[in-house]
Amino acid sequence: MHELTPGKQTQGRVGRVIQVLRASVFLTSKLFFADPQWLIPNIIAPFIFTLVAFFLFSGQTSGSSFLLYLVLGSGLMGMWGTTIYASANSIGFDRWNGTMESTLAAPIPLSWIALGRVLFNTLQGVLNAVFILVIGLVWFRVGFTLVNPPAFFFASIMTFLSLSAFGLLMTTILLLSRKGGFITNSMEIPVYIATGTMFPVILLPVVYLPFAFMLAPTWGIEAIRLAALPGYVGLPTTYTVDMTIMVAETFAYLALAFFLFKRVEAYAKKMGTLEEY
Amino acid sequence: MQKPLGPAISVKGLTREYVTRNFFGGVARTTSALSGIDFEVANGELFGLIGPNGAGKTTTIKILTTLLTPTGGDARILGLDVRKDLYEIRRRIGIVFGGERGLYNRVSAVDNLRYFSDLYGVDSSVARKRIPELLEVVGLSDRAQEKVEKYSRGMKQRLHIAKALVHDPELIFLDEPTIGLDPGGARDIRNMVRDLKAQGKTILLTTHYMFEAEELCQRIAVISKGKIVALDTPSELKNMVRDISVIELRTFEATMDYVEALRKLPNVVRVVADLDSEQQTIRVQTPLGADLLPKVTAALPAGARIIDRTIKEPTLEDAYLRLVEE
Repeated sequence: MHELTPGKQTQGRVGRVIQVLRASVFLTSKLFFADPQWLIPNIIAPFIFTLVAFFLFSGQTSGSSFLLYLVLGSGLMGMWGTTIYASANSIGFDRWNGTMESTLAAPIPLSWIALGRVLFNTLQGVLNAVFILVIGLVWFRVGFTLVNPPAFFFASIMTFLSLSAFGLLMTTILLLSRKGGFITNSMEIPVYIATGTMFPVILLPVVYLPFAFMLAPTWGIEAIRLAALPGYVGLPTTYTVDMTIMVAETFAYLALAFFLFKRVEAYAKKMGTLEEY
Repeated sequence: MQKPLGPAISVKGLTREYVTRNFFGGVARTTSALSGIDFEVANGELFGLIGPNGAGKTTTIKILTTLLTPTGGDARILGLDVRKDLYEIRRRIGIVFGGERGLYNRVSAVDNLRYFSDLYGVDSSVARKRIPELLEVVGLSDRAQEKVEKYSRGMKQRLHIAKALVHDPELIFLDEPTIGLDPGGARDIRNMVRDLKAQGKTILLTTHYMFEAEELCQRIAVISKGKIVALDTPSELKNMVRDISVIELRTFEATMDYVEALRKLPNVVRVVADLDSEQQTIRVQTPLGADLLPKVTAALPAGARIIDRTIKEPTLEDAYLRLVEE
């Protein structure tokens, strides 16, 4: 056998985590674009979503502010839908593909590998949201005049991260059981409603509000609308309060997700169910 | 990395039970996959683990590679505990899973190796040199940028080996690495295993092919029904069946009825037949040797012919069959 370069290891915990996140994002993106079906959830589905939303609402109201509300809502719906669908499948894919054992055998907690995948999957959602925005701007000539552009972009980035954190939490369910897809899929529509993507969350019956308030995207959407829409009236909170709650809930999701990953991985190893499909 | 002073693998009283639960969460059934096995593998040794399907080989490998928690006993890899030192063990071992599992088929060989080198923490500057070198070693350099889904089974298996070596492990687990390969592909893999052994790597190999285990392994453990029923060098294992010799027949148009007739002959210990080919191979184990030949010939039904007959020394397969059937 030829003389091989010795396999020197990357030093430092932060360096290792960055290396794993980068690898996971890179591989997930390669696998995503290798499958031509990526066009369906990211281009075709948002197009249909937006068309339906516009035809439903555009005749009943006037003013670009409402249309922008609609575009932002549709974008966030698309982003959420892609995040939960793809996050649920990020570990399911490994089970199906027969790469679960190889992934688990790596000397790094599975949560970091999953986080890289969820980050890319949420990024797909951003692509989806941007496409919806473009349809709104070009086709329906929605005005894109923002009240506070820096606050809008900051809230959008933080909402992206909060969706990723929620996606990671969902992934733990899939790790535990191959039947977890049922649970994560059934989360899609309730979360659309509870986070107020298409109407203000305050319109929900009071009993649903605690659930809505536990979802970080609810606060993210509020912050985005406050920063984008002139005279927007939603929850009786300010942009700063919305952002603070969203960040706090995002950290809570991450902490819970990392804790569950550790517990679920140990449990699945004990039960011998990790690579079953 | 300095090699540990003790054995590379040390297994003591290892057990693993699987619990099946009923609808209400109660225990419906407990299945024992491993019932207290013990063995050690020395540094630099090429050790074989053989046994029939469901004997406990894969369970053993999963426990030793930290993918499954044992329910009892103790297992140490390079002096480290499989229950506590997961990441340190994983960093120092390589695993080759047999068959089509374990690769991302929609991306290239380079993408697969780059991904796994990152997961294993290989420094990026090292990976840039090591990945092309490994692809050269496994003979995939000219197809390195092609999607893995276009590879033959043999090429995928060679890529598996490159993947297992990407982080330069001290100990390598090869779980049926030649399963389903054509003779040429299997020979390539066996040559690679020999090269790895020559480099001083410790290897644990599981295989269904007895000649492969005999050819490659320094010592072999035979596992059956979750227990190690024999552990020795290939020649010592063969010595266990020195009391018999083997009549090997090449026949034409022999059927299962002939095999059954042979099994009923006195002093026949075992008959193993391969009837799938146009010419059949039948191996008759007997303590009588050539003295049994007249009866073997007499049992031949009309229309069937014996093309060739040879008296042979028992092989590892003969020893294996006796051990797992006892």
